Amino acid sequence: MSSALRSSLERFGPPVLIMLLILGTWEAAVKMLGIARWLLPAPSAIAMRFVRTEDLWYHTGLTLLEAGTGFAISAVLGIALAAGIANSRFLERGLFPYVIVSNAIPIISIVPLLNIWLGFGIATKIVIAAIITFFPIVTNTTRGLKAADARILDLMHSINATRRQVFFKVQLPSALPFIFAGFKIAASLSLVGAVVGEFYGADRGLGFLVITAATQLRTDLLFVAIFVLAAIGVLTFSFFGWLERRSTRGALEVDRE
Amino acid sequence: MTPAAAQLESPCISLRGVGVTFEARGATVRAISGVSLDVADGEFIALLGPTGCGKSTLLRVVSDLQRPSEGTVAVRGGSAAQARRRNEFGFVFQEAALLPWRSALQNVRLPLEVVDFPAQGRDERCVELLRSVGLEKFRDAYPAELSGGMKQRVSIVRALSWNPSILLMDEPFSALDELTKNQLQDDLLGIWGREKKTVLFVTHNIAEAVYLADRVVVMSAHPGEIKTVIHITLPRQRAPDVRDTLEFVEHVRAARAALRA
Repeated sequence: MSSALRSSLERFGPPVLIMLLILGTWEAAVKMLGIARWLLPAPSAIAMRFVRTEDLWYHTGLTLLEAGTGFAISAVLGIALAAGIANSRFLERGLFPYVIVSNAIPIISIVPLLNIWLGFGIATKIVIAAIITFFPIVTNTTRGLKAADARILDLMHSINATRRQVFFKVQLPSALPFIFAGFKIAASLSLVGAVVGEFYGADRGLGFLVITAATQLRTDLLFVAIFVLAAIGVLTFSFFGWLERRSTRGALEVDRE
Repeated sequence: MTPAAAQLESPCISLRGVGVTFEARGATVRAISGVSLDVADGEFIALLGPTGCGKSTLLRVVSDLQRPSEGTVAVRGGSAAQARRRNEFGFVFQEAALLPWRSALQNVRLPLEVVDFPAQGRDERCVELLRSVGLEKFRDAYPAELSGGMKQRVSIVRALSWNPSILLMDEPFSALDELTKNQLQDDLLGIWGREKKTVLFVTHNIAEAVYLADRVVVMSAHPGEIKTVIHITLPRQRAPDVRDTLEFVEHVRAARAALRA
């Protein structure tokens, strides 16, 4: 057995085994105890529903679009704001309280307001995803930008580096691991934001699927939607975790000319 | 005026009554006070003193990174700010302070990307500098892959890359083991002999100060003041075994006595 195969078996073997054990017990329990389908569908029934739900990818795509767009807007604005906060005492004192307020407001409470302003379409969900991801991105990026080595900053100032040079050659690359740690949190939150937005009056998206499946007691479909959401969450989390580790090792290059 | 302000025709660096106070949480901290010192062109000065005596602050004042609260700083007849704008200062820090995401060569290249240096000549210049300290094979290695001594060599040639006339060194060797430290001290003296830099070298190691410097400026802490200045009369071509001479030991003893005084 090759060593690569062995090491991946050692890594993925245990969780896969546990998963199979849980699914097996679940399936057997449902079959043997005769649990009603609306109460707890068997894994096999959920798998069948997964295959048969033809518009699943449409709903998934839409939710991903909302979450992704909100996340992207938040990332651009958040990093820009953090750059301002990290480099200006005035902006730090003036803006940081409001960044904290943005986190303190329960997001659910402003969804109806956004519905009044932006309607029940995709825009509301994008804004919700943007608001909910803003805080972790701004705070992590700010912390990262401030973590730049003070001696290197002295060195840069002693040779008359411009603000732009200091930012792109020193501050931003030092902040990358922090930024990706923030992205990791924000990615799952953006999904929460989009789904919560879809709970309040939407006719499509995974959040809509969850609500309709629940009200119609189509519990198998509910499970399908939950599993898809979980899978997206795990994938984005691992992706940004991987970027974070790479940037910590210094393997990412952002300050090339 | 302290004896440090010796009569020099046109000093490279001239400090007159320099003091720095910081405001920290309502309290006023005097970091340095009444420092007067003239440094000749090409002179090697060691600033010797305990931790917290404002030696690092003094380097930041000389290089215009810190405005003095009182007194004046002149560099080559002009202000420190003017000298900084001419890129006269090269900094070397304790523990190298390299950027971990840049290779050895890219670290040396960092200042060249900032100062006015022709783009096509940069890498060539960096390779040449790395070769001068025996690191040409490690040009593509990242700091994490280099030993402490190698990192400090990279950091030294980084400070030399654009050929500044004044080197400001802040306890550069204090984190290194004895053998590496001695090797780098000799490397530094070699570079200094070849390139005729003016060096301000901060250290709390008495033997290191005596071995390297033309003059050792002994400082006290809280606030940082110049206690005395010791002229090191050892021959300028110094080899490691000069440390075994009586004269060397006498200088070390004098410096230690001055520190305790």
